Order: sequence, then structure tokens, then C-alpha cells
Amino acid sequence: MVSLQNMLTPAQRQSFTISITAFLASLLLLALVSILVLIVVRGGAYFWPSPIYEAEFYNPATASSKTVYAQMRVRTEESGSRVWQVSYSDASHPFGTKTLVEDHHLNDRALATEAAQIDLQDGTTVFARPNHLVTAGGTRPPLSDYEENKQQVMALTERIEEIRETYLSGIHEQLAELDIRDVEQDAPARLRLNAEFAKWQGQTRELEQQRNAYQLDVTFADGSHLQVPLADIERVNRVNQQSWWQKIQMVTSGIWTFLSESPKQANTSGGVFPALFGTVLMVFLMTIIVTPFGVLAAVYLSEYAPDNAFTAAIRVSVSNMAGVPSIVYGVFGLGFFVYTLGGNLDDLFFADRLPAPTMGTPGLFWAALTMAILTLPVVIVATEEGLRRVPDGLKAGSYALGATKAETVLYTILPIASPGIMTGVILAIARAAGEVAPLMLVGAVKFAPNLPLDGEFPYLHLDRQFMHLGVLIYDGAFHSQTDAKGASMMFAACLLLLVVVFVLNILAVLLRTRLRKRYLL
Amino acid sequence: MLKLFEHETLDVSNLSDAETALEVQDLNLWFGNKHVLQDISMRIPKHRITAFIGQSGCGKSTLVSAFNRLNDLYPGCRYQGSIYLDGRDINHKKENVSRLRTQVGMVFQRPNPFPMSIYDNVSYGLRLQGVRGRRQLDDAVESALKDAALWDEVKDRLFESAQILSGGQQQRLVIARALALKPDVLLLDEPTSALDPLTTLFIEELMAGLKKRCTIVIVTHNMQQAARVSDYTAFLHQGRLIEYTDSDTLFTMPEKKQTEDYITGRYG
Repeated sequence: MVSLQNMLTPAQRQSFTISITAFLASLLLLALVSILVLIVVRGGAYFWPSPIYEAEFYNPATASSKTVYAQMRVRTEESGSRVWQVSYSDASHPFGTKTLVEDHHLNDRALATEAAQIDLQDGTTVFARPNHLVTAGGTRPPLSDYEENKQQVMALTERIEEIRETYLSGIHEQLAELDIRDVEQDAPARLRLNAEFAKWQGQTRELEQQRNAYQLDVTFADGSHLQVPLADIERVNRVNQQSWWQKIQMVTSGIWTFLSESPKQANTSGGVFPALFGTVLMVFLMTIIVTPFGVLAAVYLSEYAPDNAFTAAIRVSVSNMAGVPSIVYGVFGLGFFVYTLGGNLDDLFFADRLPAPTMGTPGLFWAALTMAILTLPVVIVATEEGLRRVPDGLKAGSYALGATKAETVLYTILPIASPGIMTGVILAIARAAGEVAPLMLVGAVKFAPNLPLDGEFPYLHLDRQFMHLGVLIYDGAFHSQTDAKGASMMFAACLLLLVVVFVLNILAVLLRTRLRKRYLL
Repeated sequence: MLKLFEHETLDVSNLSDAETALEVQDLNLWFGNKHVLQDISMRIPKHRITAFIGQSGCGKSTLVSAFNRLNDLYPGCRYQGSIYLDGRDINHKKENVSRLRTQVGMVFQRPNPFPMSIYDNVSYGLRLQGVRGRRQLDDAVESALKDAALWDEVKDRLFESAQILSGGQQQRLVIARALALKPDVLLLDEPTSALDPLTTLFIEELMAGLKKRCTIVIVTHNMQQAARVSDYTAFLHQGRLIEYTDSDTLFTMPEKKQTEDYITGRYG
């Protein structure tokens, strides 16, 4: 029998080994790069304006064909027949709809130079050809006056908001107070307030009417007209006429919208700010909770615990805890933190609000606590590793100067082990930022009306539910089966989540490098 | 031989209480089942340099570590017998070990400065004692560094990391760190074995100057060093104190055969 050893010279054997290992390493690199490329390309597509076509297709359901302005994307199905995903608007669906069109039903397709993508405030989109503006006086200024008219509309909106805030809301509060005090319906104070309220309300109505008179007249591909109030319009993009520079501007403003605004239309458009904020806040809280717990536990295990089988068993179980599926932690968090701990807290402190739960419901604090438990083993193991690296000579030196054990731990061992601790924290952050499953049980939701941090006492609302990028992606993955736009928003959120994890890691690595320099051994 | 004129040579087997810094009585020490020190009794003279010599594993480092109870750190260490410092038994259960260690300083074989600034290294012990005053600390650091003959070399970079100092400087820094606490006894556990000959000589000269301030106990492998620096020398073998007398006598006319064999290099 001829073995490999005999067939090859030592030099060949070595190069054989190198080739295999290098091949596998490059495979890994390739997988990593393709993930990144996929996410960057698909996520970037969310911001990049796609061209608008004038398309004519046959609808087998109604046995008729129609011509629309549309953005089109190919969805390749098996057996090679192409299927188009068409986002369009027409007279019956003015604010955009989507449909799937098989390739052989698509009769005609041409770039529509004049057509524009009109983004509305509520997150919907109109695909149509803008004709001219309509103003309060009934004049029809050309499209080039758009900015000027938009300014006037915005001034009116501001005025309306001002009246609402300074007068109407104040009067409303006073009226509510009268209601609470059970003042009679025809009391003079109430009548006076009602009259005042009616006066200002009349004024706002008038202003609103004035404002809504400013409209944009558009034509759909089939020739029907629609007038869209300027106040509802966020942006008019004549995508097909835009230069590269304009497209880049559009992408930039799109990214800003994405980062700074709330989601619209069931998380398929708008921004992800609440999710971004929720993710970062949750990770910060988690870090604040897990670091002292993990470090103290590691200090006990490595410095105080007797060297026996029981300690070894604890060590093994800590390492094993790192391998427990995260959903199990989610169930634990729900069962123990939310129902048991939160329920008991409600009984003790918020009994007056029962049966509506205050703490006994999923929320930010329980989510952070659950994530802290989940990442605790990582921090303990890394910290212990760091503590083990502190030379015995330094500990002896500290004891020889009259330090007690606690003083030695505090002043000598912990500072030297701090880079190791930071390594644990970095790993914990990376794990916590990417975890989704447990969060859905203990506090993250698809849509939260309020941020967990605001100007209202006590400012940080730990009991509130929050949005999370991972949950948003999970949610988006279900939209993606029917909706290309939602899918690209999901990829954009993926890209953002990667950036968030990356930035948090970079911060922690920088901190660790500083500590390493300081406690260089 | 000049040493003879500097001070009279004491008879260490018959020291008065006033002349004694440390008195060891029937000390027995075990690590687990291993009987490391057996029935050690000796008196260490004040303001003198006493050297402990012997083979590796003869228990000389353990004996020195018993003087500041550093052996307590090792699990499985048990001891019997007494060690008297200032008339109290430091092996007593109620002894305040932290205070003892400020009274009995220790320097180890490998220089072990903390990864902090030079200033923080020297003031470490004082800050643990609760000294917070900036001026008080400044003065203590300066005088400790001067005592350790390191001041001139580091006075311009007190707040730089101690890790950048050379090995000999680091060892003197560690000595300064111990001296800052004004100890009665300074234990040196093979302080020069990691240093080059010139630096070794420097540290030896330093020791000679320091004995005015405190009693010095040095463990060494190097017989020439013991003969050069110490006033008294104790020879240990397999956990027993074989011979203990003034260095001149021990190195020139040892009483015991084992001592003679060791110092002439027949074993060990």
C-alpha cells in the first residue's frame, strides 16, 4: 500500500499542507466578503433611486391591460421565466401599489423622462408626471416655482402649529380641568373658553384651507389627473432626469431620513431611528449591568474561591452557560424577570395601578437584564483569563507592602487585568447587539410609539417597550416575501446593525488599547 | 577585615534582648505533608546584615517569608513555634498581618515594580496606610528614593512608567518602595540573582549603607556575596539550621563538616 508519506517529498508535503489550509482560509474570507458585499449592495439599493418606466402590461385577473408609470425590479423564479415586481400608481391606486407581472404579460416598457417619484409625508409614493402647481388664487405657476410655493406652505404650517401650541392646547387643558372639577356646562368661565377655542380653531381651519389650496397637478400614464396638496409632499424626484450629483444628494438625504426618522407604513419606509436608539441604549444598559457582575464573579472564582472540585464545577457550568441557546434566556427572562420579579414589584410598589402591570410587563430594563445574564459567561471567562495573567510576583509585592487581599485586588490585580476585562466586554457587546430572539420575549417590539428616553420625568423610562434593529430585520424578512421595498429596507437595517456593532467594538478596542499601554507588562 | 573595627562582633548564640531584632523559637513549618522547616531557633541582631545560605530547597526563602508571614498566601502551609518582633509573637492568631508587613519589608528575586508611575510605586504602601497629603507623600517618596540611591536617576521622570527602568534600577525602586514605609527589618530574597555583576555590586554597597536604618536579612546563593556583605551568616540544610555565627568565622573556620563541604563547593 502506498501512503501519502511515501508518495511526496517533505517539501511537497509541506506545500500540500499550506495549500489546504490556505484554501480553507480563503474560503472563509470569501464567505465573509460575499456577506458584506450582499448587504452593502442590497442595503445601498434602498437609498439609490431606481429609474421610472412607462410600462404596459396585461392583467389576467381583469383580462385587461393598463399603462402605468412604475419602478420595476426583476424577481427571478425557478425554470427561468422572469417575473417583474412592479411598483406603480394609477387612477385607481394613486398612492402606489405593487404587483407581480410575468414577463410574457409585459407588453411594453420604456424610460419615462418626465415622470417623477413623489414621496409623501405618510411614507407612500406617487409615480406620475408633474404638470404644474395650483395656488390659492387659482393661478397655475410652472413647476420651477415649486420651492417658492413650498416655502409658503411651510410658513402656513408653522403658523398653524404655533396657534395649536400657544392657544389651543392651553385652552384644551383648562377645559379638561373644568371637566375634572365638574363645572357646569353653562358656567361663564366654560362659555368664555369655548368661545375662545372656537375662534382660534376657526383661524386654523382657515389657514389649513389656504394651505391646502396649494397643490401639485400630476398626470398618470393613462392620462387621468390628480391634485396632491403640497403640504403632504416630502420630495419630488424626477429620477430619470437627475444627474449623478443630484442622485448622490438624494442618497445622502435618504440616509439622513433613514437614520433620523420613525418608520412609516408598517416598517417598510421612513427611518429606523427608534430602533437604532433602542439597540444602542439596550446595549449600554446591558454593559453597565454585566460588567460589575461579571468582574466580581470572576474575581471571586479566581482569587477567593478554594481550589476544589466545587469551584471547578462552577467554572465548567459558567462556560456551558455561554452555549445555552439564546431563546432559553428569553424564556427565562420572561418567566423570572417579567412575571415573577416584575409582578412582585408591582404588588409591592405599584399596587394602586393593578391590574394594569407597571413592571410586570416586557420592557427595556428586563431586556437589558436578560441580555446581561446571556453575556455574563463571556465576561466572566475573559476576566478570569485576564486575572490569571497577573504575575504572582506583583501580587506578592503588593502583600509585602502591607496590602490586604481586597486592596491588592483593587489596586494591583484589577488594573492589570483591565485589558482582559475589556476583551470580555467587547465580546459581550458584539453578542448582545446581534441577539434578537430573547428580546422579542422581554421587551422589543415591531413598533413603539415612544422612545425610552424623553423630556418627561424620570427621563429614562426603563419600563417602556422599545424598538430594536434586529427585530426590525426579522420583521422585514417577512415583508420581503411580498414586497421588494420592505426587503431593501431590511438590508439597509442589516447594514446599519453591522455598522453599530462595528462602531461599538471599535470604541471598546480603543479603550482596551489605552489600558494596555498604561498597564503594559 | 575592616569590618572588625567598625563594630564589635556579637555572639549570635547569646544575644541580649536589646540587641535582637527577631527571635525565632522552635519554628516548624509544613507545606502539605512536606516538613520544610524543622526546629529552627535563632536570634537575628539589630542593625546588622544577616545572610542565609544553603542549597536550593533548603528552606531559606521560606524561613525569610515566615518573618513577614508571606507564607500565609500559599494554601496548605502550616506552622508551629514563635517568632518575636518587638516582644510580640507575630505567629499569634491576632497579629495584624498588614501592619507586620509594613514593619518587615521584603524585596524579591525578580524586580516586580507595579505597572504604574515611579511615584505611585514608591507611595503605594503609604497610600494604603491612609497617607493622602500630597506634600507628605512627596517628601516620603524623595527620601525613600534617596535612601535607595535612585533619586538622581529618576527625579526628572517620577511620573513615567516604572516599566521603562533597567533591571538594576527596578530593583532599587522596589527597595525604595519598601523603605518608604520605614521598616524595622528588610528581607531581601536573592535580590541580585537576576542582575549583572556591576549592578549587583551597586546594590551590595547600598545594603551596607542601609543597615544604619534597619536590620537586613538577605538570602543568597552566592557565597562570595554572603562573605562580602553580611555580618552574620546562617547555613541551612534540608530545613535545619546547621550553623549560625559571624560571617568571618563561618567562611574561614566552619565548625560543622556540612558547612565546610557546602562553602568549599563539595555539594550544593
